[in-house]
Amino acid sequence: MNAANFVTSMPIVAVAVHDVVTLLPIIALIVSAVVVMLAGTFHTSHRLTVGLTLAGLFWTVAMIPIAQIRHDHQVTALLLLDDWALFFIGLLALTTAGVVLISYGYLARREEHPHDYYTLLLLATLGAAVLVASTHFASFFLGLEILSVSLYTLIAYPRLRADFIEAAVKYLVLAAATAAFLLFGMALVYAELGTMSLSALAAAHVTGGGAAETSLLVGGLALIIVGIGFKLGVVPFHMWTPDIYQGAPAPVTAFVATVSKGAMVALLLRYFRQVSLSPHGTVWLLFAVIAAASMIAGNLLALLQSNVKRLLAYSSIAHLGYILVAFLAVGRSAAVAVSFYLVAYFLTTLGAFGIVSELSGPEADADDIDDYRGLAARRPLLSATFALLLFSLAGIPLTAGFLGKFLVVATGANSRLWWLLVVLVASSTVGLYYYTRIVVAMYVQRPQDAPTTSRLLRVEAVVGSRAGGSVLVVVVGLVLFLGIYPAPLLRLLGHIVANLP
Amino acid sequence: MAHVPFEYGLYLAAALFLIGLVGVLVRRNLIFVLASIEIMLNAAGLGFVVAGSRWGQPDGQVMFIFILSMAAAEVAVGLALALLYRRAFGSLDIDEASRMRG
Repeated sequence: MNAANFVTSMPIVAVAVHDVVTLLPIIALIVSAVVVMLAGTFHTSHRLTVGLTLAGLFWTVAMIPIAQIRHDHQVTALLLLDDWALFFIGLLALTTAGVVLISYGYLARREEHPHDYYTLLLLATLGAAVLVASTHFASFFLGLEILSVSLYTLIAYPRLRADFIEAAVKYLVLAAATAAFLLFGMALVYAELGTMSLSALAAAHVTGGGAAETSLLVGGLALIIVGIGFKLGVVPFHMWTPDIYQGAPAPVTAFVATVSKGAMVALLLRYFRQVSLSPHGTVWLLFAVIAAASMIAGNLLALLQSNVKRLLAYSSIAHLGYILVAFLAVGRSAAVAVSFYLVAYFLTTLGAFGIVSELSGPEADADDIDDYRGLAARRPLLSATFALLLFSLAGIPLTAGFLGKFLVVATGANSRLWWLLVVLVASSTVGLYYYTRIVVAMYVQRPQDAPTTSRLLRVEAVVGSRAGGSVLVVVVGLVLFLGIYPAPLLRLLGHIVANLP
Repeated sequence: MAHVPFEYGLYLAAALFLIGLVGVLVRRNLIFVLASIEIMLNAAGLGFVVAGSRWGQPDGQVMFIFILSMAAAEVAVGLALALLYRRAFGSLDIDEASRMRG
């Protein structure tokens, strides 16, 4: 009896030992989350907690080359850690490291117990990493929920202000309801196909052009698109974005805008490549409409905003629309364009919210455009940085944002998506106006009378801004570097995409 | 044992899902909104169990257990937020949460 058990259990154990190597980046994230949580119980200093968190994230990145050594990247039916997934896990971990650094000064100014914040940040990154690597409904759903549940708590973490609580409650209700949509859609698809593998879903869509597209499959897909669209924050599922961006603490907003959205884009692209072989199908058309609506609505509504965080929220809706245009294009260059655009978008968004966090005083976030009037006279370096990042978001040449947009337009032109490109160019021209508005406020306008300054951090009261400043220096360097000399990153991305199935 | 077509199970799940959705949209009390979300999630769980039984696989039930534990985590955070919300706004009416507009 014992011997029989041993024989049957043996292959499972053998597989698991090999898989541990492949899973190392994810294991590293789990271990560092536990370490940071335990360290927080011993009344450690804020500085040590931040150091441990950063060490955990860099350890995760260091594990990626080791995970690449093995040729079998599939771990059980749930996870696939190929080059594509590993690249994005690295990108997510490094972005989180940036968020950690801009959180340091922000939390040091207003929070007495900041330790659990970093545990939650690591767990949210873990969720995003699982999401990127998932190949199965179960891992997709688990990754998404680890990410979401951590985010609810992160948004409300500085408990003192009603805005944070309002944003967290809104996010919780909407995210949980859309998670239910996603799950119900998955259940319908499973009832129809008898498998929960994501590639089977994509394959079923490709083959099922006509008769095989049953109502169960279509209904299930529609519900899954609701869930995904919510996470991406694209029109018509964008309603939460401005409120959460405005209400959440600035570093958490940076995290929501980059890691949480980027993980979903990376996952979606892997499977969309299989679907988009049949262009102009139902799903293709649906995504084209979503992309166009996001570009138009995002850019037009941003014009009306006087709150910088809200403005960036609408601009991120438009940016997701640009990314979807490249989704709809065919071929390798489309995947390269999307991933390059994502890198540029991560850098600029992280930098922009980093600046908002740097300027925020203990009472409120510096998010009103009045706070930025005449900023160039008081904080010249910070203003120059912000101006550069806004130009990159607008797509001015010599910045990473320009090259990203250029690549998107080029792939769109290759696939003859003319009307989408017209919308893209027209709406980003509108975008130029509101980005410039902030720059004008910083450089041309005079500061208003004294009252608004209580929201702003006084220059002499800067705590821990060296950490945030270092992030900004790196971000600015990379935005310029990628804008002027993108060849190394493009070569890397081309290599990664070539290995995609 | 009488055979129940699997569609009936899906109809039941869809009905539960709609009941939960209407609850989320209509109810104004945060606690009831959370309870309605719970109904939606469990409807999806029922859908998975029904789908699993159609194919004779245990996967649907496994997913149900995942959903159950996720819903528990979600509601734990949700109730903690409800406490904070009550303290910040003086009631559990979710219409109070409309300070941000635009």
